[in-house]
Amino acid sequence: MSLLENHLGISPQPPSQLRHSQLTDLVLWLLRQRRRFRIVGASMLPLLEPGMEVLINPFAYGQQRPQPGDLVVAEHPRQPGLLLIKWVVYIDADGCFLRGLNVVESTDSREFGLVPWVGLVGQVVCRLP
Amino acid sequence: MLNQAIAKLQAWFPAAAVHAHCDGPCGVYDPSSARIAAEAVLSMTKKLVDLEVPAGGDKAASVAYHNTFARYTAIKEEQAQITKDELLVLWTDYFKPVHLEQFPDLHDTFWKAAKLCSACKVEVSVQHANELMEAVQKIHGIFWATKNRDVSWYTAS
Repeated sequence: MSLLENHLGISPQPPSQLRHSQLTDLVLWLLRQRRRFRIVGASMLPLLEPGMEVLINPFAYGQQRPQPGDLVVAEHPRQPGLLLIKWVVYIDADGCFLRGLNVVESTDSREFGLVPWVGLVGQVVCRLP
Repeated sequence: MLNQAIAKLQAWFPAAAVHAHCDGPCGVYDPSSARIAAEAVLSMTKKLVDLEVPAGGDKAASVAYHNTFARYTAIKEEQAQITKDELLVLWTDYFKPVHLEQFPDLHDTFWKAAKLCSACKVEVSVQHANELMEAVQKIHGIFWATKNRDVSWYTAS
């Protein structure tokens, strides 16, 4: 357990699996209820490999807040337009703390701090295909 | 068959990129640069205190003494400023609010360390130079703790 987690008294589990897409996901994508992204970079290894595609639900956090362990796409707080894929470590009043899975390769909230709610683009729901 | 159709769609219509990488500037920080400069400050301070004043009337020895004294002072001044700059970069660029929760005396630690850099410039004080080293060591401990890494403290001299 890291010092941070120790301090907060929590030990969030990083996501270890991401299911494949089903017909429903494709229909939702065609109905523009899902967005498609391609992974660039190695910070989410071993779960997400560079070149892999995922579908995200851009409406997942309209009504509810993300949960620790969620895979999310978010905008870099200091580089508008740069979209990042990370996992949620914990939720705060002002935003959420994001981290890569492969921490050595990752630029994340350890460096740029909390990502505000408006910076969240959506929740990753499955890989494609 | 469905997967083949998806593969074709993927080939025809490239998806937008989402980054799972270090986007640079990569944020390479290490308190060892402050430590090296602080060590130089301590070393120069000790050398200044130990420097023997030459006997009166020996002009050449007097010139050499003043030259050496001036050089030691200039290096002490320069290295204390480098220590301060390195510490301020760590304080303002590396450390984030989440670290402050973890180490509530972070601001006080850096403020006192920066003040010690100034004291080491103004004075020739072995005590303050040693206190500066202790402050840098404390920051070393905090810094590596935020990275969950056990990096032992060492000095070059």
